[in-house]
Amino acid sequence: MTRTVESREDGKVVTDPPVVLTRTPGVATEPAPRRGARRRAAKEARAARKAARRAELNPTDSRATTIEVRIDPGDPLLTFLQDAPGPLEIKTLPPTSPAVARLREQGAQVVVPLITSGELVGVLALGPRLSERTYTRNDRRLLDSLTRYAAPALRLGQVMRQQENEVRDRERIEQELHVAQLVQQQFLPAELPELGGWHVAAFYRPARTVGGDFYDVIQLADGRVMVVTGDVTDKGIPAALVMASTTALLRSAAEVTSSPSEVLRRVNELLIPQIPMNMFVTCQVLVIELDTGRTLFANAGHNLPYISRAGQVVQLAARGMPLGLMPGSRYDDVETVIEPDDIVLLYSDGITEQHDRAGEMFGFGRTGEVVAGARSGDELVDRAIESLSAFSVGVEQEDDITLVTLHRGRSSGYHDTVSFAVPSIAGGERDVMDRVAAIVEGALPARRLEDLKTAVSETAMNAIEHGNRGDQNLDVEVVVRRTAESITVDVADFGRGRRSEADIPDIDLKLAGLQAPRGWGLFLVRELTDRVEEITDGDRHIVRLVMHTTEHEGNES
Amino acid sequence: MALSAARLSVDTYPPNAAVIQVAGDVTAACEQDLMAAHEEASDTGAKVIVLDFTGMDYMNSGGIGMLVTLLVRGQRRQQRIAAVGLTTHYRQIFELTRLDEAIGLFDTTAAAVATR
Repeated sequence: MTRTVESREDGKVVTDPPVVLTRTPGVATEPAPRRGARRRAAKEARAARKAARRAELNPTDSRATTIEVRIDPGDPLLTFLQDAPGPLEIKTLPPTSPAVARLREQGAQVVVPLITSGELVGVLALGPRLSERTYTRNDRRLLDSLTRYAAPALRLGQVMRQQENEVRDRERIEQELHVAQLVQQQFLPAELPELGGWHVAAFYRPARTVGGDFYDVIQLADGRVMVVTGDVTDKGIPAALVMASTTALLRSAAEVTSSPSEVLRRVNELLIPQIPMNMFVTCQVLVIELDTGRTLFANAGHNLPYISRAGQVVQLAARGMPLGLMPGSRYDDVETVIEPDDIVLLYSDGITEQHDRAGEMFGFGRTGEVVAGARSGDELVDRAIESLSAFSVGVEQEDDITLVTLHRGRSSGYHDTVSFAVPSIAGGERDVMDRVAAIVEGALPARRLEDLKTAVSETAMNAIEHGNRGDQNLDVEVVVRRTAESITVDVADFGRGRRSEADIPDIDLKLAGLQAPRGWGLFLVRELTDRVEEITDGDRHIVRLVMHTTEHEGNES
Repeated sequence: MALSAARLSVDTYPPNAAVIQVAGDVTAACEQDLMAAHEEASDTGAKVIVLDFTGMDYMNSGGIGMLVTLLVRGQRRQQRIAAVGLTTHYRQIFELTRLDEAIGLFDTTAAAVATR
């Protein structure tokens, strides 16, 4: 028996599945492509029956063995056979070839290269004839013409199998990318927090399925807010992996220090041992005191933020080495004040370095122009994206694009804060509702006030009945904050919050008896307020209800 | 602590309707009272039950759940259930919860009874 070894155009030799040419009758069997699996099975069954019959007729067939030789891509035999003229005696083959040595060991006598379109696609090796005679000239002619037909057929089979493998690989990669995208989204804030009097908007679009840009908004224990944006060199999967660990490091650094320069210094040290040699991360950190706009800013090689201020455009400036490049890098905190009505734009170079058809970059000039005309953060994001799309029409997005805007309202900070507590007694929610209504009186139109009252009552009822389990020794604490733009009501209990989202209530299911009649509370709270946030603070669980007193333009993304 | 219960009363509305006046706070706490009122209204042979919320001060999600239970009972007796006297806010809540698809909302009892 014989065995061929396939050589692919990339020089790799694949041996599985094998192409086997049976010797005595000279019949070639080539593994059929997968979609012909059933046909192949039938064919194999036929071949097996035939072989069995043959074995009965000619018991010498049992002496047949399979020659199994793997030819390394660098083996001199491959180059030799590439120009070989047909069947060759084993002794004429290059003696230095390890494959030839192995062929000899397994008793090969004649080797025939399978060549099609000038390319060596396989090798047919034959052992001694069962008749124990030498191969005649006729045998050689037969082998020569056999391989002439077999080679293109073999090549076709190889190409088809290769294509099938490629399709399978592509499908698997796409599936993995989809999962990677879902995982990456976990590292970006699902929704931006409500900051008293400040409005945050964000836009994130990776150049590929996943990206290396990131942003984060972290509420610090002292009441300030840390805003982070960054960009990992490279894009796609490698960048996304580094992005994931960088955001995690930033979050944990924010728990230890609230100094932007110290956050960057720590993350740099932690990142260096784990980041690949040729990669680094540009990043900037702002820590903002919401009431005063007082801001500390540190920068690790990231694009400098723009501020739209009273019709002018200014830039915050700070320098520093990108993260992950040099151990011992130091950063400075730059202090500035974000004034009422200022809009800050943080952005990645995916916008400034995008080219148009003519090869020109979008640049800082155009970015600055977009900032100049903006009246709100949402509008700024929308205009930037529109402007960039118009500029780069017909050109692929080259890099990940991230935009984060911070708009300080005209009268930011909390005007006044009122807090009170009630014991967890059934029906106490009615009391909470009336007191909150009295506190926010005049801040909301009548219809919106009714919505808030119902939402507060439902939230307080949950806190009393579920969070504190009706334990009269536990209070439900309520904090009401008023700003020019919004009212927030925090309702705190000592429970753990709802572990899992209850079923979305559906009247048809309820009437059909497929859902319990109750279970409308959370649904109403979500529907009646502008935003609901859940916060864990030590052993307390806080539900924060937010009602805008003015309508925001555009969408929060 | 405001824990005022709902005040319920039943009036017949010949030939085939009954009106349940629902006043005060509508919460799960008044479930028994409401079901009793429904029994009383059904005993008159009413095929249309009108819930008059004119005197209602407050309703919470527990109250909405209770109305769902009432609807299921009404369906069993092949009754039509309608509501009048809801404020704009509670009309909105009926719409959000799609209760308005099962309980017809009307401005007057006469309109609620007349509609088929």
